[in-house]
Amino acid sequence: MTESIATAAAATAAIEVDGITYSYGDLQAVKGISFQVAPGEILGFLGPNGAGKSTTIKVLTGQLSPKSGSARILGLDIARDDPETQAQIGVCFEEKNLYLNMSGEENLRFYASLFGIKDADVAGALSRVGLADRAKDRVRTYSKGMRQRMMISRSFINKPKILFLDEPTDGLDPVSSAGIRSTIKEEADRGAAVLLTTHDMFEADELSDRVAFLNDGKIVALDTPENLKLKYGTRAVKVRLRDGDGVREEVLPLDGGESSARLAELAASPELLTIHTEEATLADIFIQLTGRGLEG
Amino acid sequence: MSRPVSRAAIVSAIVKKDFVEFSRDKLYIFLSLLGMIFFVLIFWFVPDTVDETITLGMTHGGDLGALVAQFEAGAEGSAEGLALEVFDSPEQMQGVIDGSLELWRADEGDARVIRDKEAGDDKPKDSHRVGVQIGIAFPEGFLIDTATGTRTTVKVYADAAVPPEIQTAMKSFVREIAYGITDNVLPVTEPAQENIILGEDRAGDQVSIREKMRPMISIMILMVEVFSLASLISGEVLNRTVVAVLATPAKIGDFLAAKTIYGTVLALAQAFIVLLAIGAFTAENWFALLVILVIASVMFTGIAMAVGAAGKDFMGTLFYAMAFVLPLMIPAFALLLPGTASAWVRVLPTYGLIQMLNGVTAYGRGIDEYLPQLGISVAWLVAIYVAGLFTLKRKVESL
Repeated sequence: MTESIATAAAATAAIEVDGITYSYGDLQAVKGISFQVAPGEILGFLGPNGAGKSTTIKVLTGQLSPKSGSARILGLDIARDDPETQAQIGVCFEEKNLYLNMSGEENLRFYASLFGIKDADVAGALSRVGLADRAKDRVRTYSKGMRQRMMISRSFINKPKILFLDEPTDGLDPVSSAGIRSTIKEEADRGAAVLLTTHDMFEADELSDRVAFLNDGKIVALDTPENLKLKYGTRAVKVRLRDGDGVREEVLPLDGGESSARLAELAASPELLTIHTEEATLADIFIQLTGRGLEG
Repeated sequence: MSRPVSRAAIVSAIVKKDFVEFSRDKLYIFLSLLGMIFFVLIFWFVPDTVDETITLGMTHGGDLGALVAQFEAGAEGSAEGLALEVFDSPEQMQGVIDGSLELWRADEGDARVIRDKEAGDDKPKDSHRVGVQIGIAFPEGFLIDTATGTRTTVKVYADAAVPPEIQTAMKSFVREIAYGITDNVLPVTEPAQENIILGEDRAGDQVSIREKMRPMISIMILMVEVFSLASLISGEVLNRTVVAVLATPAKIGDFLAAKTIYGTVLALAQAFIVLLAIGAFTAENWFALLVILVIASVMFTGIAMAVGAAGKDFMGTLFYAMAFVLPLMIPAFALLLPGTASAWVRVLPTYGLIQMLNGVTAYGRGIDEYLPQLGISVAWLVAIYVAGLFTLKRKVESL
């Protein structure tokens, strides 16, 4: 995409951020970032630790007040601290801030009551994240992964129009991660605007309609994963050939005419084993743009 | 979309959650129950009687028989409770006063036994032990020596715990006897004496240590509650669960209101149960007592908020709770000790509360007799509560 999503985001943005900044003392964590997220869109915030991802979420969820700039949630300025706006937000925090001496069911019922929901489908919410059979157990007895799934479940309890997910699959095994990603997609399909922060490039690539690269408090690139790869990646073909008893590889760039003849020659070779297109990853592009890795 | 939720519903939900959390924490349940049972037991174990009788020991060479008989007759008719025990020797009297010997008197009749515990003497049956705090040893020939102007020495033995005023009185007593024997009368007209007791005359009806313990027990219970609430708050702060709460329609004011209600109800309930169990409530004083307990509960909730905001772990919370609450217990301790409290004790926030608690529970006074203390206590309550609220608010906002 998807030009249509970007256009829609600007036109009917669920989240609208315009030049916000935030500082911790002398350290400027967020340096004037702007973006929009449309209803039903997943915007991936990709960046290493300290890039400003979590601070941006804290500003947008009202935990911090921006030093400058403005942000609107569902058309309302966040500076108003309107409970009506808060009622439409679901947040999955990076830290597992659950009540450990209460059961999973009690945790969800408590949060539902803060939203004024008396008949919350707690069993369904726990079932979505695979915790139905542990509903009555105290959260203290949950594993790290189970607590993370509980966090996700809690963020969905009020069927929010805006979802802020801070490292939602942190600490999960691959199977659980896949399940959570599927649930996040379901929420977006329901119409929720999702702001997803992660330093997992595969997760961002798989889930996000658009991706924002954050580095040192600034957005250095914002587009769909496809467009970013097209814009910054190098298209190439990797050919693997039998070479005596071993295997030899040859990478041929697709941009530029000189590779065509060589590719045709190799394709006709009896030694040919495989031909694969090579595509830049988001991590490659991030390094290319910032000179640093995502894990830093 | 859910309907807008009222502030009352949010506060109620947080309070309910706090009670669920409290009920799940075995440590605080244990501490609260243990504290309540322990203090109630201590209260009922402490004697409820006040022994106002001062027993005076005496030895003489046999020449003071008439004086002793006169003294004993006077002591029996005295409401002040002065008793006399005559010993065979100064050494025996000294032993009874310092505790190396025991004086036992039969419950019925005049029989008495001097028991040497270390020598293996049996404890006499149907007897009660008599404590002698002070004794006068008149030397042999005291009567004749005094009458003839020969200088003689009278020894006064006093237990270390006997106040100096009583020791001085005994010296005067000896001097008076000497004057009497020599027929030396002071060249003055003895003035008539009229004793006027200001306030309630409690002679023969002294307030016992047990009754004086009620304010201290109340403060002790509130201290346990401070620790409990502070731990709950510090848990919310350290685990950042409050951050999740504030990412909903709940506002920081709702959170603070919920903690105030929870802390006050918890403190009030515990103090109420304990005071009920130690017989503090009467048909006349229940309203006054409730007013005092509400003031104390809110005051200690304010302290718990400050402690909860400052505590970083179990030990830290315990330390801050002790640091804040121990000074506030001093007025209650001062009440148990004889004498007047130092001036600095009177400026402690709990001084007025303790005075009111003591007056209402031990002397049956009304709250209207303590209006200055009530005013000062309310002022302290506002100051402490606002300080606690502000400290916790700042802490939560900084998360």
